[in-house]
Amino acid sequence: MKDALTGPALGGVGERWASFPKEDLYSWIRNSQGLIKAGHPRATELWNQFKPTVMTAFPNLSNDEIESILLYVDGVYKGTYGPKVAAGPSGAAASNAGQESGFSFWLYLIFVLLIVIALFLWNLMSDLDFQLKRKAGDTTAVRTSIWKLLTSKAIVTFIIFALVLFGGYTTVNNAISLGRQQNYAPDQPIKFSHATHAGLHKIDCNYCHDGARRSKQSIIPATNTCMNCHAAIKKGSKYGTAEITKIYASIGFNPNTDKYIENYESLSESEIEAIYKKWIGDNYVKDNKLGSATQGSQQETDSQWNMIKESLTSDTKSAIPGAIEWKRIHNLPDHVYFNHSQHVTIGKIACQQCHGKVEEMQVVKQYAPLSMGWCINCHRQTDVKFADNKYYDSYKTYHDEIKSGQRQSVKVSDIGGLDCQKCHY
Amino acid sequence: MKKQMKQSETTFWIDDQDLTRDPEFLAKVESELSPVAIESILTDERAGVFETNRRDFLKVLGFGIGAATLASCEIPVKKAIPYVIKPDTIVPGIANYYASSYVNGGDYCSVLVKTREGRPIKIEGNASSAITNGGTNARVQAAVLSLYDYNRIKQPSKNNQGQLTASDWKTIDEEIKAALGSGGKIRILSSTMMSPTALKAVSEFTTKFPGAKHVMYDAVSSSALLDAAQQCFGERMIPDYRFDLADTIVSFNADFLGTWISPIEYAGQYAKRRRIHMDSVSMSHHIQIESHMSLSGSNADNRILVKPSEQSSAIAQLYNEVSSKTGGATISVSGVNDKAKSAISKVAESLLNQKGKSLVICGNNNLGDQILVFAINNLLNNIGSTVQFDRASNQRKGSDADLNQLMTDMKSSNVDALIIWNANPCYDTPFAADFGQAMANVKTKISLNTTLDETSMLCNYICPDHHNLESWGDVEAKRGSFSFIQPTINPIFNTRQVPHSLLVWCDSKNLNTTAEQPYYEYLKKCWQDKHGELKLSPSDFQTFWDENIHNGVFEMPAASKSVAFKGDVNMAAGKLTKPSNAPVEIAFFEPVAVGGGMYASNPWLQEMPDPVTRCSWGNYLAVPISFDGDRRFISFNNIKENGEEVELTISGNKTKIGAIKQFGQMAGTVAIALGYGRRNAGDCGTGIGTDFNSSCKWVDGYIQYFNTEVEVSNSLGSIEKHFACVQHHHTMGVTSIEKSTGKKFNADEAALVDDAFKGLTKGYQGSLTDRSVIRHSHLNEVKEKVELLKEERKDHQKLNSYTLYPSHDYKYNAGHHWGMHIDLNSCIGCGTCTIACMAENNVPVVGKKEVSRHHEMSWLRIDRYYYGDVENPNVVYQPMMCQHCNNAPCENVCPVNATNHSQEGLNQMAYNRCVGTRYCANNCPYKVRRFNWYDYTTADLFPMNQYNLAAEKTQPFYSDNLVRMVLNPDVTVRSRGVIEKCSFCVQRIQEGKLTAKKEDRTLSDNDVKTACQTACPTNAITFGDMNNKEGNLFRKLENPLNYIVLEEINAKSVVNYTMKVNNRNENLDA
Repeated sequence: MKDALTGPALGGVGERWASFPKEDLYSWIRNSQGLIKAGHPRATELWNQFKPTVMTAFPNLSNDEIESILLYVDGVYKGTYGPKVAAGPSGAAASNAGQESGFSFWLYLIFVLLIVIALFLWNLMSDLDFQLKRKAGDTTAVRTSIWKLLTSKAIVTFIIFALVLFGGYTTVNNAISLGRQQNYAPDQPIKFSHATHAGLHKIDCNYCHDGARRSKQSIIPATNTCMNCHAAIKKGSKYGTAEITKIYASIGFNPNTDKYIENYESLSESEIEAIYKKWIGDNYVKDNKLGSATQGSQQETDSQWNMIKESLTSDTKSAIPGAIEWKRIHNLPDHVYFNHSQHVTIGKIACQQCHGKVEEMQVVKQYAPLSMGWCINCHRQTDVKFADNKYYDSYKTYHDEIKSGQRQSVKVSDIGGLDCQKCHY
Repeated sequence: MKKQMKQSETTFWIDDQDLTRDPEFLAKVESELSPVAIESILTDERAGVFETNRRDFLKVLGFGIGAATLASCEIPVKKAIPYVIKPDTIVPGIANYYASSYVNGGDYCSVLVKTREGRPIKIEGNASSAITNGGTNARVQAAVLSLYDYNRIKQPSKNNQGQLTASDWKTIDEEIKAALGSGGKIRILSSTMMSPTALKAVSEFTTKFPGAKHVMYDAVSSSALLDAAQQCFGERMIPDYRFDLADTIVSFNADFLGTWISPIEYAGQYAKRRRIHMDSVSMSHHIQIESHMSLSGSNADNRILVKPSEQSSAIAQLYNEVSSKTGGATISVSGVNDKAKSAISKVAESLLNQKGKSLVICGNNNLGDQILVFAINNLLNNIGSTVQFDRASNQRKGSDADLNQLMTDMKSSNVDALIIWNANPCYDTPFAADFGQAMANVKTKISLNTTLDETSMLCNYICPDHHNLESWGDVEAKRGSFSFIQPTINPIFNTRQVPHSLLVWCDSKNLNTTAEQPYYEYLKKCWQDKHGELKLSPSDFQTFWDENIHNGVFEMPAASKSVAFKGDVNMAAGKLTKPSNAPVEIAFFEPVAVGGGMYASNPWLQEMPDPVTRCSWGNYLAVPISFDGDRRFISFNNIKENGEEVELTISGNKTKIGAIKQFGQMAGTVAIALGYGRRNAGDCGTGIGTDFNSSCKWVDGYIQYFNTEVEVSNSLGSIEKHFACVQHHHTMGVTSIEKSTGKKFNADEAALVDDAFKGLTKGYQGSLTDRSVIRHSHLNEVKEKVELLKEERKDHQKLNSYTLYPSHDYKYNAGHHWGMHIDLNSCIGCGTCTIACMAENNVPVVGKKEVSRHHEMSWLRIDRYYYGDVENPNVVYQPMMCQHCNNAPCENVCPVNATNHSQEGLNQMAYNRCVGTRYCANNCPYKVRRFNWYDYTTADLFPMNQYNLAAEKTQPFYSDNLVRMVLNPDVTVRSRGVIEKCSFCVQRIQEGKLTAKKEDRTLSDNDVKTACQTACPTNAITFGDMNNKEGNLFRKLENPLNYIVLEEINAKSVVNYTMKVNNRNENLDA
């Protein structure tokens, strides 16, 4: 938007073309090569600057459509239009949480109050009892102390019983949840934000996780998938060079020259370091308008590089080049077979149903419990898209029953969704 | 005729003890899972490991609690590591299939290799092949495991008496080039090579070094057949035999269904003529003339028993009969036994009635025999009809004469350099030991073998070849029938293809050594030349190339070849073997699984039971059994039980070996398999069985696979320590209560011994069970038997209205209901399906000792039953796996509901729910459930499981990370203490259903095929949806020959078998 990349920056296009008729800009966008051939001065200037990269021609765009695009570009550039930071939902969640804790606070308060009242009442009763006995002439009578009450058989029995009950309850609960990790949200080697990519920029989930629609695995995207965009977008809005450089260091892309590095795997660590430190340092200098490298820029570069190195290496991987080792969040046991394509392509289930609102997550967490009960429940409740797929034609009985009105819908459980060997084999 | 006891035709048996109702034996087979006796654990050499005292117990307990607490505190971080640059063709989770070819020496099969995430995990047949037609055999199925053999040599090395020094290609190439120098007498010794391009590389090599010569030999030789073809038809080639065109097949000692030349191809052709179509009931007539029961012999309608030394006479006898009746001359014949004599003359008659529609083949490595057999085929007008030459086979090329010459040269120090290429002469030749000694006379010895075998041990340089699945290549298995090999994985080790090595050493100009894949370029260039030369279509070479690599096979139009027989019968008559008077003769044969020894290092093949003897992990002496005519057997040399040891003396060499009593073994003969007793075959094959190659003799320049200087001692009594014969494991034995008396009786015993029960058990057949396990008929009485079957089944099905689960039928009819059909007339018992099942379903290898304790894990077994004449019986094979009964008796005894029924009629097994009570296995009438006694696949690693079950070493076989690459990622690896069994390949069912859904169409037959079905070379197995009226299965279920095993117990199995029909000619027995 703001920087010239493979072509001129989009922002400010109107001003730059202001000295020419609007029609010229339209025809430039529709077919840049045509305008260059016609010898338009601005077109020739741009061509000399950016050739041989050719801007894609869009002969189908009408003037109105181009005007809308330009308006949008201008709006985003000037900040008058475009998505705002999604403050709403998280704010709501926070207040929601406040409410919840307020609610339990009142519960605790009532509980404490009740105990106080109980003690008070008991005190009153024992006092009265004591007075009554005194009155009856029992001189040996003493006031029962609190301690005596607490060590009384009934109370001790009750406490032991409560402890056993509580202990058993927690043990069983913990045993059931053993190995489950709902809400697990580890720090990843790259501070990749789904909120930015899927939320703000509305990139389809299937673009990166392209296995979800056709394979068992949804697939963690390969580094080259990142490069589809990040060959051009070289700095992040939040972390600048700190995070995106990790992609480059993984695959061996030199952002200084916009070229992939030959024989990247065979470079020494210091050679790799030099390439990326130059990139980080230059950008720091440029962004802070320092003119030349300073101690501050050196420090910043070193610290960023150390972070990058730490993220890309591990106990099992000593070299910087190579795959990014993400932490796996959704772990199913080995004896469970789960197929994404069955659910995404055939079942047409939205990703969010199991993964939550990933497009709002800065750090991804495990949304669903991924427990067998959770799976089974869904299989019990979900209707099969029975009429949409010819595969289900062979289920003649059910089709007949639907036709005759005997049956409203076919649940997943009706076609074997609860069978053990649906998922375990 | 007292000895000619003939069993009632309703009797089947698996063994002599079975037939005689030996009470001990019956007790043995009654206990289905054979619990391990406590004594066997205590006397175990590893017993020390199990010793625990109180303190140890407390320690373990404390550790256990601590470990469990720690484990529950923090879940270990798992990583998800993506690709850096994802290859376009790989989608993790989706399998890719590549067409390729399996080649090892003369063994060939066109295949599709299934890869997941870049690693081959399963081999399927390639249906586009005109030779194998999508069939495979056990060796092909097991090839994927040998890829991940950790005993493979990992880099080019220098060798000093087995001490390897790692080197690199550059150094070793320079040294070898220097050693080869300007030439000298170089010999390349290889097994049969069928690759035109590799042979071109060899010819470049021999052009550069004029003193070089390429010698080929086969581990089990067919040299005489090739030489006979040379003499009779002017060319050294194997004819294109057509078993599908033959009405009568006469095989002299050729195991064409198991091992001979091209068994996959022949089995497919053979089965075509064995299937029964009720509209026109006919089948071929197969006569096997042999001394021991081979796989082909067991499938034959008639077996004529002749001693190995009588083979020649038998052939000559047949020649004379045929020749005299066609007006030709006869040759002088030494006598063959009387019974065989009369049988052969009847065979001759029927052959003459079917001129041009019969086939005579011979597996003897004797030139005279082979020429006579060609002469017989010629007299019968079979040349050109069932014996064709247009597409002559290249699948055997070895020459015994060349091998012998090489030996002579080496002995006289006339060889400067020896290059060993996929051959192991220090093991698999009769002069193995001498060959090793003679190798000392050769200065430069280079081994191109993949493992450090007996021969490689003696070489100076080891330049390991790629595995077949890592290679590029082409194959011309039959003339004009090409197929291609493409790599399905990057070379795992630092290896190099042999032709590449040869081209480097001869400084070939045609090899671009700087290319990424030099041999690929070379191969492509050769084909480009051929494409241009022969003007092959499509005319664009790249299109042609891509198409053929994709398809894997390429057929050139057959060059029609006119051949005329010009063999010299009188010369042949002079070469015939004279019958011996020796009291005992021994025959040596190639076993179906491990071949001539080259497959000995493959645990899947070691664990596969021999189809006939049903022994695994070793070779055993097959000895004859004779019958006293009154339910008692006269035991051979006092051998009472299988596995008892005898001392075998062959030409003065004594060995102790386990014996197995073999039905159909001719009296006065014994037999033993070659290919065992390897001295250097990795962890799995070394020292398994006994080597008998040195007992084969050179006769007349050919290796003779029998020996007459044999003595067999009386039984030494002791049984081999771990006798791994699966014959009596998992038999379907039953006892019952006699209603009127309330007495317990054994149904089968009653049927045979006590006539009082005859009425009770009448109508039931089968082995031990005397129930409807096997049904058979003679070809002439099929129609009547079908009527009988119909009535009987009707009677059995009366019970069927009683069901345990009345609501199930509604569900089964709603969607799919899976079922299977097995054609016992197509099934030849080769065992391919059992290995395919192991590969597909991660079935563990348990090792010899475990097999001996009934612990083999195979989900699919092939039961072998004898029937008919006790001394020369017929055989029926029955693949037996989980029958997925609708009223499954296993399901309702499970205390934790770990096994239950799916809506699609599958009997499901949830491993993680199983607590290992084994009630289900006990209650299974078909005995198909298997229990994990140990952690065979090391799903978790407690030290007690850390034993290599194959070699009893410190590491379990599957715990090696390389070996584990073969595991199918879609199938759970089972751990210790759970039951497992056939799932009807549910992972394939689910995958097929998903494919159909994705393509928005109903499920078709091709979407779901089980592993056993796709592997079968004879298409005996059909799997499918019984509700699909258009499906193959539905059509097959209408076959009136169908029956269900043990239908009378109302388990409602969904596996249908066909009645076995034989075409035995009773006249030949008389």
